[in-house]
Amino acid sequence: MATIEQTAEVGGPPSQGTPGHDPHATSTGVTNTKLAIWLFLSSDCLFFGAFIASYLLYRGRDVSGPGPRKLFDIPFTSATSFILLMSSLTMVLALAAIQRGDHRRVRIWILATALLGATFIGGQVFEFTEFSREGLHVSTNLFGSSFYLLTGFHGAHVTIGIIWLLSLWGMSTRGRLPTKKAESVELAGLYWHFVDVVWIVIFTVIYLIPQPH
Amino acid sequence: MSEGTLQRVEGDVAVATRGELGHSMESAPGLLPGELRPHPSPFKYVVIAVVLCIVTAIEIGTSYLEGDIPNGLLIFLLLAMALFKFVGVAGWYMHLQTDKPLFRRFFILGCVAAVILYTIVLATLSVFAA
Repeated sequence: MATIEQTAEVGGPPSQGTPGHDPHATSTGVTNTKLAIWLFLSSDCLFFGAFIASYLLYRGRDVSGPGPRKLFDIPFTSATSFILLMSSLTMVLALAAIQRGDHRRVRIWILATALLGATFIGGQVFEFTEFSREGLHVSTNLFGSSFYLLTGFHGAHVTIGIIWLLSLWGMSTRGRLPTKKAESVELAGLYWHFVDVVWIVIFTVIYLIPQPH
Repeated sequence: MSEGTLQRVEGDVAVATRGELGHSMESAPGLLPGELRPHPSPFKYVVIAVVLCIVTAIEIGTSYLEGDIPNGLLIFLLLAMALFKFVGVAGWYMHLQTDKPLFRRFFILGCVAAVILYTIVLATLSVFAA
């Protein structure tokens, strides 16, 4: 009998997800894609940690330009935070729906998640526009640079998530998202919840924690 | 190698892998690969969302106590509530509670590494100095 290595050289075990084939066993007992997304999210913690640390480093060190005390509209940002939190609920309901084979509900919840995410992005764009009108740009002062970079990258993550969700929605409408591909929805959900979790940290650290005078 | 032989070898490999490594990709019915227990029900997800909303509302209300309570206490309360929400979303919505511990270990590793690394950086640059 050939060894595992020899078999891998010949052609390897059946590929994951191929019709008629079982997903190949891995040494960890979990799928490679799910492990990969968790590793990516783990690295993204360091990515956002860098920007949050930069914001904390430059907090209160501006010598000119408008600051957070003047600009932040906590009620408005609270509303957008609530919208993003609700999008996490709709995302996890989409996963629950595909696991029980309810494809109509899958499409509804995925679309709802994407729309809530788009509403959040709309709120961010409005906020950036208001700040810009008040004289805060990326190059205005340390607050402007660190704030726009951090929230801008978060917004980019949300936008990528929206595109991902809309592509899943399109696949589902074409009947190309069967129940056996539920993991695809789960992976998108993990990314989306991570984006929400990052906003939980950003909202508290940037907006709610008292600013130095 | 003929196709019949190759298929037999593949079958032997799959059996040997499951037997020797003990990690089968065949999960129990209704569970995705990597899940140890079933995910929460939709009703439970809604309950969790309501709890998160309530905590968010309390967090926002607490932020308006600036000046009425010591700054240190205020920051501690806000960070504690943020951590609660973080754990709630990561544990229940990201299914770290019901999935294999491997995922939890990787995610916590990233979070802890980020916190330690950037705390050291900020401390080196005297951000925490009075």
